[in-house]
Amino acid sequence: MGIIARKHAVQQQGASVRDQLRAMDDSGVVTAFLGGEERAFSELVDRYQTRLLNFIYRTIGDREKAEDLVQEVFIRVYRHLHRFDRSKKFSTWAYTIASNLAKNELRNRSRNPLVLFQTVQKNWQEDDRPLQFEDSTSRPDDMYRKRHLREIVEESVAKLPEHHRNVFILRELEGKSYEEIAEITDCNLGTVKSRLNRARNSFAEIVAPYMD
Amino acid sequence: MDCREFLEQHLSFVDDTLPGVELVRMQMHLGECEHCGRHDATIRRSLMLFRNLPRIEPSPDFSKRLEMKLREAKLADAAAASSNRSRKFAAGVTLTSAVMLGYIGISLRQVDSPQDIVLPPVVAIATISDSPSAGPAPEMIAAVSAGLPIWTAAVFAEQTSAHFASIELASSAR
Repeated sequence: MGIIARKHAVQQQGASVRDQLRAMDDSGVVTAFLGGEERAFSELVDRYQTRLLNFIYRTIGDREKAEDLVQEVFIRVYRHLHRFDRSKKFSTWAYTIASNLAKNELRNRSRNPLVLFQTVQKNWQEDDRPLQFEDSTSRPDDMYRKRHLREIVEESVAKLPEHHRNVFILRELEGKSYEEIAEITDCNLGTVKSRLNRARNSFAEIVAPYMD
Repeated sequence: MDCREFLEQHLSFVDDTLPGVELVRMQMHLGECEHCGRHDATIRRSLMLFRNLPRIEPSPDFSKRLEMKLREAKLADAAAASSNRSRKFAAGVTLTSAVMLGYIGISLRQVDSPQDIVLPPVVAIATISDSPSAGPAPEMIAAVSAGLPIWTAAVFAEQTSAHFASIELASSAR
């Protein structure tokens, strides 16, 4: 009976720690982790896994590889968090690691021309892509049209030059500020704005014929 | 405002980061210029399409795989730290041995190397006698000529050196 009560108390304590961590901002969670609270790392993973996955996936176009890279991001975060400059935003640091890994992946891929962005992306789309873009109550021809449009949109992003695509995704998908993007991509503010402007124009130009 | 200026400021216009006056100028141009109006609509619609792309979720075994990788990373870090420690220890031992061997070597070299033996300076004291003898003692001359055994001559020789010194000093004093 005593053991069960103790177990229950420990569980409750664990739950309350997790609740506390959930209520903290990133900086607080990082401080807790550096103070020896291992559960704080899980909190960081919960907060960023989906965001980083989408960012990397949209950048490299390969879901499986994107998952591997997100895992690599978290391993690097775990290993080097003690060196992280806490006067800066954790999210910016995490995205910088993710951006560099994605860039390396694209560079490696360009050395191996057999793996192409579109090929990889299409392979995944055939099997298990989510269907949120379509409404299940729509008519079949409408669903087809919407699915086709989504494919066009995804392909259009893939067609953007790498450094334009990176900035475009960070801004339009992740909602990062120009300053954050400048820090993540290691560019100055002017370059970020010019790349984003060009990316928007190119993207709109590719997609426009399919929008009407 | 002309179209060039409109296009230059369009990024900030879409992101709503323009100051109030500029914003009004942009809106006015938008009302006047059909071409820029079309451009603005195309950009906004395409962005909306992109922003509405479905978000993908991590696969169900994502956390389990990450946990495994983290465990491996921790083990690798621990192994690296321990090998680093043992490498430092080995380096320390090697350094200490080298220092000790060097010390022993230097010590042995100092023992082996021939050195000049420094003796305390010899101080000769000479007393000037009133009647200096000009040659060997008459007893010695007598002994040699008389064919006395050599040991007696040696006893005399002990005395002669003193006599020689005395002779020299005495002569220089004069």
